Amino acid sequence: MAEKDFSNPAYYMNRELSWILFDNRVLSEARDKSIPLFERLKFLSITASNLDEFFMVRVASLKDMVNAGYDKKDIAGMTPKAQLEALSTAIHKLAEVQYSTYNRSLLPQLEQNGLHVIKSHEELTPEEAAFVDQYFEENVYPVLTPMAVDSSRPFPLIRNKSLNIGALMRKKNHDEDLDFATVQVPSVLARIVELPADGETRKVILLEEVIERNIQKLFLNYDILCAHPFRIMRNADLTIEEDEAEDLLKEIEKQLKKRQRGEVIRLEIEDGMDKRLLKILRKELGVEEQNIYAIDGPLDLTFLMKMYGLEGFSHLKTPKYEPQPVPELPAGCNIFDEIRKGDILLHHPYQTFTPVVEFIRQASQDPEVLAIKQTLYRVSGNSPIIAALAQAADNGKQVSVLVELKARFDEENNIVWARMLEKAGCHVIYGLVGLKTHSKITLVVRREEDGIRRYVHLGTGNYNDATAKLYTDVGLFTCSESIGEDATAVFNMLSGYSEPLKWNKLSLAPLWLKGRFLALIEREKKHAEEGRPARIIAKMNALCDPDVIKALYEASAAGVKIDLIVRGICCLKVGIPGVSENITVRSIVGNFLEHARIFYFENDENYEIYCGSADWMPRNLERRVEILFPVERQELKEGLLHILQNQLRDTVKAQVLQPDGSYEKVDKRGKESFNAQEAFCEEAVAHAMEGQEEPVTSRRIFIPEMPQDI
Amino acid sequence: MAVRTFAAIDVGSFELSMKIFEFSGKNNMKEIDHIVKRLALGSDTYANGKISIDKLEELCRTLKEFSRIMKSYRVDAYRAYGTSAIRETKNNAIVLDQIEQRTGIRIEVLSNSEQRFLDYKSVASKGETFRKIIVDKTAIVDIGGGSIQISLFDNDTLIATQNLKLGVLRVQERLNHLNAKSGQMESLIDEMASAQLSTFKKLYLKDRTIKNIIVVDDYLSSWAVRKFGKDVNKSIVGIAEYEKIMENMRTGSRSQIASMLDIAEDKVPLMFISTVILRRTALLMGTENIWAPGVTLCDGIAYEYAEKNKLLTGEHDFEKDILACAVNISKRYMGSRKRAETLDDITQTIFDSMKKIHGLGKREKLYLRLAAILHDCGKYISMVNLGEDSYNIIMSTEIIGLSHIEREIIANVVRFNHSPFLYYGQMGGRESMLSTNDYLVIAKLTAILRLANSLDRSHKQKLKGVKAQLKDNDLVLTVDTQEDITLERGFFEERTEFFQEVFSVRPVLKQRKQF
Repeated sequence: MAEKDFSNPAYYMNRELSWILFDNRVLSEARDKSIPLFERLKFLSITASNLDEFFMVRVASLKDMVNAGYDKKDIAGMTPKAQLEALSTAIHKLAEVQYSTYNRSLLPQLEQNGLHVIKSHEELTPEEAAFVDQYFEENVYPVLTPMAVDSSRPFPLIRNKSLNIGALMRKKNHDEDLDFATVQVPSVLARIVELPADGETRKVILLEEVIERNIQKLFLNYDILCAHPFRIMRNADLTIEEDEAEDLLKEIEKQLKKRQRGEVIRLEIEDGMDKRLLKILRKELGVEEQNIYAIDGPLDLTFLMKMYGLEGFSHLKTPKYEPQPVPELPAGCNIFDEIRKGDILLHHPYQTFTPVVEFIRQASQDPEVLAIKQTLYRVSGNSPIIAALAQAADNGKQVSVLVELKARFDEENNIVWARMLEKAGCHVIYGLVGLKTHSKITLVVRREEDGIRRYVHLGTGNYNDATAKLYTDVGLFTCSESIGEDATAVFNMLSGYSEPLKWNKLSLAPLWLKGRFLALIEREKKHAEEGRPARIIAKMNALCDPDVIKALYEASAAGVKIDLIVRGICCLKVGIPGVSENITVRSIVGNFLEHARIFYFENDENYEIYCGSADWMPRNLERRVEILFPVERQELKEGLLHILQNQLRDTVKAQVLQPDGSYEKVDKRGKESFNAQEAFCEEAVAHAMEGQEEPVTSRRIFIPEMPQDI
Repeated sequence: MAVRTFAAIDVGSFELSMKIFEFSGKNNMKEIDHIVKRLALGSDTYANGKISIDKLEELCRTLKEFSRIMKSYRVDAYRAYGTSAIRETKNNAIVLDQIEQRTGIRIEVLSNSEQRFLDYKSVASKGETFRKIIVDKTAIVDIGGGSIQISLFDNDTLIATQNLKLGVLRVQERLNHLNAKSGQMESLIDEMASAQLSTFKKLYLKDRTIKNIIVVDDYLSSWAVRKFGKDVNKSIVGIAEYEKIMENMRTGSRSQIASMLDIAEDKVPLMFISTVILRRTALLMGTENIWAPGVTLCDGIAYEYAEKNKLLTGEHDFEKDILACAVNISKRYMGSRKRAETLDDITQTIFDSMKKIHGLGKREKLYLRLAAILHDCGKYISMVNLGEDSYNIIMSTEIIGLSHIEREIIANVVRFNHSPFLYYGQMGGRESMLSTNDYLVIAKLTAILRLANSLDRSHKQKLKGVKAQLKDNDLVLTVDTQEDITLERGFFEERTEFFQEVFSVRPVLKQRKQF
């Protein structure tokens, strides 16, 4: 048999198109009638905010490539130009489905359930109109900045991502010339305006409609001919994406001066916008035809998240899940004592994140604790962790905090609390040049009777108590000496010191992690070739590293059974004869955002399980500091395997990748309906109950006190 | 026993490193942190003789960090040593003072022989394997930037040590000068190494083969730690396997070698030089095994600290090594072994009996013994100018485990054994190295050595069984001998004057004839 070329582009999926498929899967949740109505609003909102980010980061990046004349093909053999073209088609289609979902499915449902969304201000009753006009004058008018364009006033700067109303008008009693005017819909005001209710049905109208109705008041000397909302997305103020190849970065740097900053890469307009108005916008903003999206409905669907937040309608929302206590770490326990008894695994958000915060809080107050070191990537506002770290420094502990300033869209926020920590006396380090520190690790050094002992927390998710209620992640507490040594070395490295000679247990990106993964896959392949059991189960957020995919193809071809649980982008294709017949890929999109990275390797019936912060993406494996850690205690390994198995069993939220590249829900015939996320919730509740000792007061038998000296 | 924490800092030529150790219970030494910062102080020093302002800044910044880390572990003590980069800096006194003022860390400068001795101690700290290995003929090859040090063991004692100017940086420097093509590299390095190594062989080895080599370096050692893990007992490579590594290095590209050995690419050329030199050494010695325990100077510093503070009881007798080396040096210069032994005996007897008076300790006793062993090495050059020649020989011979000042003390004691004693201020500038305290040690040891020497004037070891006893202000030396000691008695009288001057004790010689 001829050697197969596993790097043949035909075997790979373009990552951007794969991402569109992911957003489609989120969208399918919004279309799922079995899901409570308001949850569906939320999913639709997420597809919109996802798409915005996708434009700003990925589409912008492709634009850069095209502008720079960079035409290297991607893993699937597509040039940037070809990718942009394919994306334009796919995104137009996605937007169509978004709005048909909104118009045909969600709006009627809302109506049925007593919430009427007034589509256009023309539908208002006179009483409502009066209310709206008053609202406009009192609240909206003062913050508006109308701008007209004429011979003395140039076309104004339209802000990125802002919602605007464009209008055509004519000076009263004057010439025939049409003038253009625009006003930004202020983002400081609520997008949804609720009208006074009369009867059962509540009514809301969107802010842009309120402004549109009153636009005449902004341009008193003009007659308004037409007014329509529009919204733009710019390729602006973005640092170069770390995802791209280095040669590209150099190319772009060279082109930087020539590049047109602030180029408009998407123009959304209300469907049916006046042709003359559109023509002006197109000309002034310099948008290409394929980047114009005519929208049948309100622009920027992220307002639906606000609609979700409307008071009431709780029967149309999934009841809030309360993260459960961890029986191994009961409230009030000394966390260090408990960790010494054995490694502890936490599964968030099913189990509460509190012990992690508590770990740092106790460390900050424990007189025997010498030092606390932690990496922080994205932290919630008002984070209890930051407070505990500051407290620790105040108590004389050596506190080192690695603050990653390069966390996307978070920079300003991060700088603020980094300063705060510095003021409190913490030693703040900012990571390594050119590498984002994405690993999540905390080290507490404690002096005990027989010398120092190191307590380590390793996780797959950020130290963010807010997102820990929404993202599914796992975390490990351990005081294993070898992991403790490694953790110390990690922080030495992050402080700019040399790498250790040897890692005991941890594998770090960018230097060693990829090789480690490839070796683990290779070992399974070898076992398969020798006829021994060989299997890989891997769960992650994205899979697009060409080397890893190639290794997986080789392993699959050798007979390794591979099951992948990939939430988002997946450049691997399944079902290619002789290449990937033994590989399955499924994606779970549910109430919680799947975020944990768990890797199972059969290792000839002596299975190994690893968790980490890295996806199988080049940026994670090559341009970030990431940590992969093994979980070795038997019960915990079983726990992690159980997580993977449950996700492979899921028939409700899972969608399975087909050989044609599409995703389809699991064929439920002959199968029991099973929702993994729900099962984990139930298990966490049951597990927490088991751990609870019966409180004294709940006993119903009262035992009389016996006199001692009878 | 309470846990003690100690920090060892090595201010090296290419790297600054600190290890934190924890001592708990008897003989329990554990490394708990190891911090390494790349900082090439050597490149400044070797080129200009001074450390640049920038590097000094960086050095201070890092030491401050080290100090912070030490604080975080609440270390009980630390020791910071500077090696050749600091040693060869012209203005090192100023630099070291500045560092201390700015960081609070006091750096002491190690002489080459002290540094090598600590390296050696770090190897010895690996206990069991070390003891097993040195039962056979073994050499420690300590490869540094400027030079390499080869130390030979026989019967588990160190017997000789030699410094060769074959450090990896030095060799690389020369190769750069030669503008050598990569294909020629190996044979050029080989040639350079062979020239020096064959002299070494003539001097120390003759036809003996050395079964084991223990290597201390920054290259093969770290590779071995990566490959074999932290269990040092496993990191022994057979010569055949070593040849395989060599072969891979010959054929691989720089990046291939780097990824194969898991080292940084910029380290590959130095690793190559190190590997070639070691291979040449092994071939020359007929070596079978190479052990790379992966130790660093910091391990030696901690070992020394632990020994001093009785946190560890070392199984290896390092003093015996130093004495054995001295005996070998004496042998090379045709010193009389018997006479040295007699003299060693007598000086020890006098030293011990005078403890209350001279107030000197164990270390000074070692100086005295070394002076006794080396007392006549100068006669190899000239019988007339014995004092000066001996002084010069000792000063230009490295004795492992001794600092420069210690060598100066011993050399002076030997010199004044033969030449007139010079008082402080009369030494023509040589005393500038010495403190008054060192000078006093020289005076006291000279007095003892002179007295002992007079007792064996005839070189016939007549007065072997000398007994000494301090009675009031008299030091009574009783000898058991049937022989005529008129000659000895005559010299003895001559020497008592100086002895009295130094100690205010009058030596008295008594002969007890037993029939």
